[in-house]
Amino acid sequence: MWPGWRSVRLWGAIMYNNRLIGSLYIVPFIIGFLLFTAFPFVASFVLSLTDARLQDQLGAANFTGLANYGEMAGDATFQKSLGVTFFYVFVTVPLKLAFALFIAVVLNFKLRGIGFFRTAFYLPSILGGSVAIAVVWRFVFAGDGLINQALGAVGFGGVNWLGEPDTAMFSIVLLRLWQFGSAMVVFLAGLKAIPEDLYEAADLDGASRFKQFWMITLPLLTPVLFFNFIMQIVQAFQEFNGPYIITAGGPLKSSYLLPLMIYEEAFKYFNLGYSSALSWVLFVIIAIFTAVAFWSQKHWVFYAQERDDQKGGH
Amino acid sequence: MASSMSQASKSQAPEAGWRKHLPVINALLRYGVLILIGFLMLYPLLWMIGGSFKNNHEIFSTIGFIPKEPTLDGVVNGWKTSTEYSFATYLLNTFRIVIPKVIVTVISSVVVAYGFARFAIPGRKYLFALLMATVLLPKSVLLIPQYLMFREFGWLDTYLPLYIPQAFAVEGFFVFMIIQFMRSLPLEMEEAAVMDGCNSFQVLTLIVAPVILPAIIAVALFQFMWSMNDFLQPLIYLSSVEKYPVALALKMSIDVTEATSWNEILAMSSIAIAPSLILFFAAQKYFVDGITSGAVKG
Amino acid sequence: MTNSVQLTDVKKAFNGHEVIKGVSLEVKKGELVVFVGPSGCGKSTLLRLIAGLDTPTSGEIHISGKDVTYAHPSKRGVAMVFQSYALYPHMTVADNIAFALKIQGLPRAEIEAKVAEVAEILQLTALLRRRPKALSGGQRQRVAIGRAIVRQPDVFLFDEPLSNLDASLRGQMRVEIARLHARLGATSVYVTHDQVEAMTLADKIVVLNGGHIEQVGSPMELYRRPANLFVARFIGSPNMNVLTAKLKGATADRVMLETPQGEITIPRTGVRAEAGAEVRLGLRPENLHIVSDGQAAVLRGGVLRGHVVLVERLGGETFAYVALLGFDQEPVIIKLSGEADLHTHQEVALAMDADRAHLFDVAGLALGQAVGGDHV
Repeated sequence: MWPGWRSVRLWGAIMYNNRLIGSLYIVPFIIGFLLFTAFPFVASFVLSLTDARLQDQLGAANFTGLANYGEMAGDATFQKSLGVTFFYVFVTVPLKLAFALFIAVVLNFKLRGIGFFRTAFYLPSILGGSVAIAVVWRFVFAGDGLINQALGAVGFGGVNWLGEPDTAMFSIVLLRLWQFGSAMVVFLAGLKAIPEDLYEAADLDGASRFKQFWMITLPLLTPVLFFNFIMQIVQAFQEFNGPYIITAGGPLKSSYLLPLMIYEEAFKYFNLGYSSALSWVLFVIIAIFTAVAFWSQKHWVFYAQERDDQKGGH
Repeated sequence: MASSMSQASKSQAPEAGWRKHLPVINALLRYGVLILIGFLMLYPLLWMIGGSFKNNHEIFSTIGFIPKEPTLDGVVNGWKTSTEYSFATYLLNTFRIVIPKVIVTVISSVVVAYGFARFAIPGRKYLFALLMATVLLPKSVLLIPQYLMFREFGWLDTYLPLYIPQAFAVEGFFVFMIIQFMRSLPLEMEEAAVMDGCNSFQVLTLIVAPVILPAIIAVALFQFMWSMNDFLQPLIYLSSVEKYPVALALKMSIDVTEATSWNEILAMSSIAIAPSLILFFAAQKYFVDGITSGAVKG
Repeated sequence: MTNSVQLTDVKKAFNGHEVIKGVSLEVKKGELVVFVGPSGCGKSTLLRLIAGLDTPTSGEIHISGKDVTYAHPSKRGVAMVFQSYALYPHMTVADNIAFALKIQGLPRAEIEAKVAEVAEILQLTALLRRRPKALSGGQRQRVAIGRAIVRQPDVFLFDEPLSNLDASLRGQMRVEIARLHARLGATSVYVTHDQVEAMTLADKIVVLNGGHIEQVGSPMELYRRPANLFVARFIGSPNMNVLTAKLKGATADRVMLETPQGEITIPRTGVRAEAGAEVRLGLRPENLHIVSDGQAAVLRGGVLRGHVVLVERLGGETFAYVALLGFDQEPVIIKLSGEADLHTHQEVALAMDADRAHLFDVAGLALGQAVGGDHV
């Protein structure tokens, strides 16, 4: 069950029966998959069982079994990183989705200038992942940066955002929330796909706006919600630019997200084996979340009937 | 008789009193929320662009983004950067990476998508499932082996690792998007082309590709944007400063220019996002259509 | 002279499910043959097999003497007009028509000449620079036809070309297609589910049902001498009335039938059936007439009595639904002139044109033939 699985099921009409030519068309994908995905995937696991070092030739590595994983269990930095990462994901994903949905609902109205607002909200998500924005963010949260200036203007004292372990995380959380535009656009499309007649019928039945949202909008949005949810979780767990550029993982590792740790272990401390083990742990975590989400689909995701069914039903 | 009639008309009177204004209140509330949030959202960008034209002292003393004493110092020095190369070099490098990447992504995505969409490939369903799995696969787990592999190839400090994989349709999301568009095309049109004498490749290039051009443009735009923002990949593969794209140059600059010349840095950031900004405004429609087709049609 | 199209025992199965169950037929040069039948009968599949968009599971297809069973569609000498026209939206009308020629690699001057010629025939010259989306339905269809004509194929294939048009346009285009065929004399295979199109356009009709051929013949042949009940009911609108009766006896030139209203005699020869066998009597709406009681008394046998349950006035003609006394089945439909004076519940006596009656056995096969030569 993935976005598009229905299209697989409904695939009937084949244009060309020539299996050989067809296979030729997807040969790039096969090669790419084997070379750049499957092989590295397996190699990564194998590496995690060694003590490979970046500066050495691979041949020099020794097989150490699960030693890396064992080391992880006792590594305080890893535990801190893991905790921080979970915090980041559990905070940003729900908030971002809720906010995106909220704005999409507000925007889903026959307003003039709706295009302008949609652009304004979408723009940050296009630029937000860039280094440029991350750099600006560092200034925004600096001691005499934008935020503190704004706080000063309304009478609050400044906060040492990036200097205090407690508040550093806030800056990268906010950066991610700032980019809710892409999720919002998807929600908007989902909202627009809900037929007007349903709301009109509900009006006739005397349902309040709020009830309509709860009973019509939300259930019909669940496929879109599901899509957004999966994409956000997978992306959030892999956030790198923000922590690297804005906080450098600090202070005191308070924003030392796991992808950052993976990078530093490999390219700063040259511990390839350990880094690979870390990346595999991250992978497993993401896989578990994704699997649970997919499995839970049937309990809360409501796929509207296919058109053909509806034809018969009417 | 008369009284009952007037009673009837009273109960049928349209929303009397304040209820009549409900739609207007609704609209006002919405506008209010949108304007407020929109302003907050865009402010950092405005501040960044405005700050490029301020002098350093002003940046940290005023909130307003319009410079009181505009100056071009930040922009000029920012362009020069405090490194041995000017921004021009870095911008050029960025395009040296992004343009091949986009071209190669489009071609391989369209070709592979056509295979999936129109051919009776053995095990098609499973291969498609594999494709979708790559979309969700966390790329961080592939990072190190890919690096080692490219090291073996001798591709370190070149641009090759940054776009060669894209030639092999590794971006499942784009392939998926194009497949969806292709499937929405009427089969009869392609059949007519076959009857007119086309082989499958001609059908793809002469008929299908032109018709799904909006989707192709969307793929190109998205890949362009994402590649412009790409940081980690260039970070691990490029070591010569002269090859740095804007992303790395920018990071390097803030490490170098520690406590001074913020306006330069803001200027550099502004210039860095300028191409994306321009492209975005020019082609908004494609962005929105593209991302929603992937989510909603699926 | 070799037939233009020859199908020999063609079978087609999809996923083990047989859709075409052994079809053999031939299309002569210059003929317009219509494949007609209800949805799912396999007519479109058959057309696609001839076109080459699908290959048969077994059997052979020959076009102009060559075996094309497995040949590429563009190498069969066929051109197809699709139901949805399948025009290339990103090309002009001229490019759409020229496309096949470009693929063949003809020189540009030649292509332009041919396109101009075809545009002339179909009155498209003024539209050559337009894109399909700027054309009306009828115009698009002409472009689709033009695209086929320009390739000068041995055989034209039409896949329900008029289904997407609204009723009034359909009539117009039907006439245009008929005229075109008369002018070009091109061998054509035409698929439709509309028996009116079949009757008006065809030189020869192939009635298909469930993957096999029910009957092949000229429109009038199928109308006057349907080989079975299916064809009898499919061709002709409104449908033929079918009454259940029992065979009482048969002589050399007539047949006696036992009905709930007594005995009816019909001229018919060659009837091979047992006395007492259940048969089906077929009477077309125009072969039933209302007679006065006086006239009914004069006619011996062959008069059916009933009462009118519904009258449909179309202006130029009137259809009356009459429930027959004693017959436990649907009311029969009779065709009357537009001025017919009739009302529901009216008791009527119906006389039949016995020499136009049809007889079928219980399995649906025609029994015997009409007497005295063909009224075709």
